[in-house]
Amino acid sequence: MSNPIARVLDRLPMRPGKAPIVPERSVAGHTLLLLIAIMTFLSAVTLGGVVLVQKSALAWSADVGREVTIQIRPMEGEVMESNLRTAISLAESTPGVASARALTIAESEQLLEPWLGAGIDLTAIDIPRLVVVRLADPAAADIEGLAQNLQAINGATLDTHAAWQQQLNSMAGTIVVSGLLVLALIAVATVLAIIFATRGTMASNREIVDVLHFIGASNRFIAGEFQGRFLAIGLRGGIIGGVAAIAFFVLIGLTAGVVLPSEASAQVGVFFGQFVIGVDGLIGICAVVLVIAALTAVTSRMTVRRYLAETS
Amino acid sequence: MIEFSDVGLRYGNGPEILRDISFEIQPGSFHFLTGPSGAGKTSLLRLLLLSLKPTRGRVTMFNEDVANLDQDRLLQMRRHIGIVFQEFRLLDHMTTYENVALPLRVLGQAEGDYRSNVTELLEWVGLGERMNALPSVLSGGEKQRAAIARAVIGRPKVLLADEPTGNVDPELSSRLVHLFAELNRTLGMTIILATHELPLLDRFSYPRMVLNKGELQIHE
Repeated sequence: MSNPIARVLDRLPMRPGKAPIVPERSVAGHTLLLLIAIMTFLSAVTLGGVVLVQKSALAWSADVGREVTIQIRPMEGEVMESNLRTAISLAESTPGVASARALTIAESEQLLEPWLGAGIDLTAIDIPRLVVVRLADPAAADIEGLAQNLQAINGATLDTHAAWQQQLNSMAGTIVVSGLLVLALIAVATVLAIIFATRGTMASNREIVDVLHFIGASNRFIAGEFQGRFLAIGLRGGIIGGVAAIAFFVLIGLTAGVVLPSEASAQVGVFFGQFVIGVDGLIGICAVVLVIAALTAVTSRMTVRRYLAETS
Repeated sequence: MIEFSDVGLRYGNGPEILRDISFEIQPGSFHFLTGPSGAGKTSLLRLLLLSLKPTRGRVTMFNEDVANLDQDRLLQMRRHIGIVFQEFRLLDHMTTYENVALPLRVLGQAEGDYRSNVTELLEWVGLGERMNALPSVLSGGEKQRAAIARAVIGRPKVLLADEPTGNVDPELSSRLVHLFAELNRTLGMTIILATHELPLLDRFSYPRMVLNKGELQIHE
């Protein structure tokens, strides 16, 4: 180079060897990016829902399992208050029991309020009374011994809530399995979409593939070049979808408290816990992003290798 | 170096494109491959490039029967063969330098190891000042010189050229053939150059392989 401009140009760092072999614009990037972002969002929301239900079910189950209830029906010739005291003392003397407490008439009325309505005077009616027994250690508590001892009280029965627990577990299990099925379907749909996008990209980049073959590139090298592109798209789409899912959970958490009346909000809180994704939720969403990106890279690599084997 | 014995080629169930082709190419030789359009020149070049297998006969390259080669060996052998096309086939998104360096890049060589070689070769073919230009701004002659540089950067033993002068004017055609001749003379590269431009052939005294209706005659 003889002229000054050429000499300056010559001193500039060249960009040799650094241009990607597969140009970014040649890959069906935008559509695939959007699709992967949507799939990641759906996966993350589904996973979040599944985790939420499972955590709530475990908490419910643990709560219910830490309590048993003694019900004492009013019987002819029996004194309710005396039977209540006997039941409490029998419960308190049972190994593994932390405390036992009879619900007051007012508390019983509150429990019946949803069915009978408010403002009804129940003092005239003989209603069954309940003793709430809290267990210190549900595994070590002698529930059978307590049930046997309670036979001494006329009209007393023991409810361990086992049926509730079982129903709760099977309901939570069904939701979890359904969620996992949805996740699997999303994964399959993502894989199919990537296969179509990869084959389309390969067909539209046939010229590059041919040139690479002519200059001695192996199928492994070519597949690696295309895989790099798809991995980048997978990661970018995954991150967009993951961030959208985090924003969704944050938004739901904020609006649940604002939109729902306080009682309803409290009930939702009891049933589902708080809509807070927490650290484990963030880790889960990050895992979804990585899995989707890896799925994109692996699927595209396999598709490219198969395409090259068919065409070369 | 290259030997064809009674080679025949057909695509699918169609008629034979090449029939009873037999010839031998010595290392360091220069041959023109000529014949009318549709005579089978490109098919013969594809056989030489190992991108096609003959339907009958025997092809020996570098003392090995190509019919017995596995994929890895075929790939290794293909790296000893350079190819130049009429339509250049440069990658549009890469600069001249990047296009020429591509064969070394796919071999996994570090840029520091090949930069000076590529620069030197580009200077040699007269593209020293067009190194950072994209193919879209190069003239036909420049594109073809870049394509030739890309084909020879890996120092192949054989250089094939399929109508390399088809897209340039007669004056430039002659200069390009001189460039191939220079490569043959200075680097000892075996060259087979396909062209149907008879006036161009008359300017050089290299042997001619003439294909007509799938049959080959050699005029020394």
